[in-house]
Amino acid sequence: MAIIEKRFGATDGWVNMPDGTSHYTFGFVDITGIPEKQIFEYRGKATLLAPLLEVYQGDEVYLTLTNLGLPSRPDLDDTHTIHWHGFPNQIPLWDGVPEASISVPVGRDFTYYYKPLDPGTYMYHCHFEPVEHIQMGMVGPLIVRPQLEKDLGRKFAYNDESTEFEREVLIFLTELDAEPHYLVANVQEFDWTEYSPEYWLISGRSYPDTVKPGNEPTLPLQPFSSLIEACEGEKVLLRFINLGFQEHSIQILGVPFKVVGQDAQQLRGYHGEDISYWRNTLYIGAGQTVDAIFTAPRLGIYPLYSRNHHKNTIAGISFGGMITEVRVLPAP
Amino acid sequence: MSLINLWVKDGYLSTPDGNSIYFWGFSKSENGPAQLPGPHMVVTQGETVTVNLYNTLSEPVSISFPGQTGVTVEGQPVQPQYSAGRLVSFVNHAEPGDMVSYTFTATHPGTFIYESGTNPHVQIPMGLYGGMVVRPADYDPNVKEYKTAYGTGTDTEFDREYLLIMGEIDPDLHQAVEEGRSYLISKYMPRYWTLNGRCAPDTMLMDNMDHLPHQPYSSMIMAQPGEKVLIRYIGAGIGNHSLHPHGNHTRIVGMDGRLLRNGNVDLSYKRFTVLVGPGQTYDQIYQWDGLGYTPENPIPITLPNLRNMGIGNVGWTMWSGSPYLGVKGDIPKGVTSFNEFGEYYFMLHSHKEPQITNWGEFPGGMMTMIAIYPSLSPDVGILT
Repeated sequence: MAIIEKRFGATDGWVNMPDGTSHYTFGFVDITGIPEKQIFEYRGKATLLAPLLEVYQGDEVYLTLTNLGLPSRPDLDDTHTIHWHGFPNQIPLWDGVPEASISVPVGRDFTYYYKPLDPGTYMYHCHFEPVEHIQMGMVGPLIVRPQLEKDLGRKFAYNDESTEFEREVLIFLTELDAEPHYLVANVQEFDWTEYSPEYWLISGRSYPDTVKPGNEPTLPLQPFSSLIEACEGEKVLLRFINLGFQEHSIQILGVPFKVVGQDAQQLRGYHGEDISYWRNTLYIGAGQTVDAIFTAPRLGIYPLYSRNHHKNTIAGISFGGMITEVRVLPAP
Repeated sequence: MSLINLWVKDGYLSTPDGNSIYFWGFSKSENGPAQLPGPHMVVTQGETVTVNLYNTLSEPVSISFPGQTGVTVEGQPVQPQYSAGRLVSFVNHAEPGDMVSYTFTATHPGTFIYESGTNPHVQIPMGLYGGMVVRPADYDPNVKEYKTAYGTGTDTEFDREYLLIMGEIDPDLHQAVEEGRSYLISKYMPRYWTLNGRCAPDTMLMDNMDHLPHQPYSSMIMAQPGEKVLIRYIGAGIGNHSLHPHGNHTRIVGMDGRLLRNGNVDLSYKRFTVLVGPGQTYDQIYQWDGLGYTPENPIPITLPNLRNMGIGNVGWTMWSGSPYLGVKGDIPKGVTSFNEFGEYYFMLHSHKEPQITNWGEFPGGMMTMIAIYPSLSPDVGILT
């Protein structure tokens, strides 16, 4: 069991869509280990997605949130929090709901402590005015790895050998409605009941950016690639997270997958019954996560896309949006 | 044998942002107010249930009972009603000023909806829906192993019980109905989302508040650590609702009034978010055990000076000011705390986040809290 100390800054930024547009965002940026005098250099550098938080079952996690302020909206002194969505038996102090505990004002810190015991795929997000702060981009992935990985030296989704995999990819689903991003950047109010997104994103990017590498220089604040590369016969774990406000329906053409976990719970009944199942289409609601495993078929390219085909567009123009690729390479 | 009388009438709903919305609802009595949702029907498996519907509106009204079989009117199976070849109702209806009497036997325990079967695209969003709970035949609230959702031996024991019925409100529909104007339901655009007929923060008020005469039901969930809390969901609107309780997963034991079990194979499962579709019902067990922190076993961080932190939302908080259950801390001056005994609050809300606003303003809508008290009267969390 390790002690993990992390520090995330909350600030703002801008993200790029393949149609050349840029959109104002709020978000988190990893400032772990940055000297105190230099943390303000990270203002305006929030990433979409927020940094991956990746820990082992039983680790002790000290996560300090520092509110760096919003350089593009210096008038807006919103506080921020971190809500670990789905953390079992949480206490309010570390649950990140401002109405029921603490939030972090500009220039202040607060340390959240977690000792995760249940492996699986989670998410975290700011819970201050969540409709605004989530849509503005304060969303990140969270993985708790099982003890079994350490015991056997191989990769597993859960503490069960049937959940073994060789490679894994995050498929983090969100939408972006340009209107509130524009209004927030320009000190205007948005009526959230009129939410109507025209950009659909996987891990913070719209296709074809989704298949670009993680360190793509044209996407400085969108570090997550969702390209899925595997060799023939390898088992691939897809960790689906829906932190948008819509349901999403995802298919991989020619690649059925087995759903082994949902909401950070292995699919087992009350008495250990195996209730995992196969699907061609994954229907996932807002605030849910799904762990699905497939075996890479013969070499080729297999598109992963939304079956709501209107979401496979960039503000209405095809192809784009919620698409990525499974590229199967020859076995080594 | 259960006899339930319902009067259909109109009234006005209150929303926390000051709006007053015309609606149609069921009432328990001839002189009582219409209410949203309709009165809870709580019956026992095997019981014969008769529901008399008295219609005071100026158009036909009926009640359909999705999930119930063998519903009869005057001894005959309910049938769709046509007028000049045009479908008017899915089931027998009461004409204005008239009444209709439905009878059925509640054969399965679980959670069910009852709702209008006449002009349902208008009458249900206008408020003609309610919840029905069928107790298992062996139900006995005084014996632990018989206080269950689905019968002894089904692993569905519970200590307290709450029913949350979800709905949406498009004020344009309600205003058009009130003024007798036409309304295009394909343009339906909700501005409010409700739990038990109320929008947050009214959801957290107690039952039967004087200033909410038409919205008698609270959605506040209250329990002690370690208790099994049966939370029943009903999707009464036409949209999906992605409900996420903080504090822990729920274990889904039943859907649509059916135990999740095939023979000896248990199909129940845990979720941190449940997507409730229109007309669906979910029965779940929620249990919060905590992490074991007390003043004697303190948290491994130092609580910051609270004057340097954000406390609550615009001057109020539900927090005690202490990390520990049952302990009251010091809340900074200028912040009002609604915390009573150092209890913990966990939000339960739709993760389709625009649904936790009142016409776009957070906080509101489809949101409530789960309160974990250090100790709580056994009289709390009883569904009648």
